Amino acid sequence: MIPLENFLLLSAVLFGIGFYGVLARRSAILILISVELMLAGVSINFVAFASYLDPEAFSGLIFALFVITVAAAEVGLALGIVLRIFRERRTANVDAIDELKW
Amino acid sequence: MFERLPLPSQFDRIIVTGTTVVALVGLPILIVLLVLLTAGQISGAELVFWMASAVIVAGALGAVLVPNVVHAALALVATLLGVAAIFLLLATEFIALVQVLVYGGGVVILLLFGLMLTNAADDPVVTDGSQKPFAALVGVLLIGIFAAAALDAEWAGDVANIVPFELFGERLFRDFLVPVIVVAILLDIALTGAFVNARRERVEEPAADEEVRA
Repeated sequence: MIPLENFLLLSAVLFGIGFYGVLARRSAILILISVELMLAGVSINFVAFASYLDPEAFSGLIFALFVITVAAAEVGLALGIVLRIFRERRTANVDAIDELKW
Repeated sequence: MFERLPLPSQFDRIIVTGTTVVALVGLPILIVLLVLLTAGQISGAELVFWMASAVIVAGALGAVLVPNVVHAALALVATLLGVAAIFLLLATEFIALVQVLVYGGGVVILLLFGLMLTNAADDPVVTDGSQKPFAALVGVLLIGIFAAAALDAEWAGDVANIVPFELFGERLFRDFLVPVIVVAILLDIALTGAFVNARRERVEEPAADEEVRA
């Protein structure tokens, strides 16, 4: 059988790569993609813990479901905001968006 | 014949490059795993785990490193499908199905729409910031911390348990009913907000222009 540590290490690697993407990417949509990677890593962790350690209550599965739902809502709302900013400023580069009011 | 096909000029180059990379990197891994499998060193589940891990890590690296934004979004699809395979391996079919439906069908399409709507033709490749080395340092340190914590602890379970559908639905809609309602309201608010934000205000000028032209 696969030990639990394998899944934890896989999710750690996925989370780290996503974190690198959030810090290094400059396009707002690519930052969203990196956030999706981080959320996928967290979901693997939740599901692995629920499946290995908590088979009676399996709260981790429910949390993973909520993570996926909230990620979908987040992407929809963030894309609306990015499109609005792009229409006003003609850019989606987060370095160029540095004013609270215009 | 190839010139007559309505394809972008770099399409065949992408296919050739991608196939070469997959063949050079993926085939040795697959051969080693198959040899180990036939020798009885690893089980079928471990074979699937290592292959899915390779797809996930390669897709994630592609999603954060590739300069072309559309290719990055497609690499994200590979990663999310690999994560669905990992969920299947953990005996949670429902989460795997939801992952494929919501991410593969909805989120990635939304992201591609966003990329194509915000990527002006003069700026197809967004340059990354100068903080790349520091970001890489932070990412590696984060992976190291998590790996140390995961390897340091003693975990009780060593078998993935199957959760039946009926129990899952019962627990979701009985014990977690209030969170489900809250998430439903959150989805409603988020999608309404997205619509209100992305909507165009009505403009009066185009009608006047057409009259002048007529």
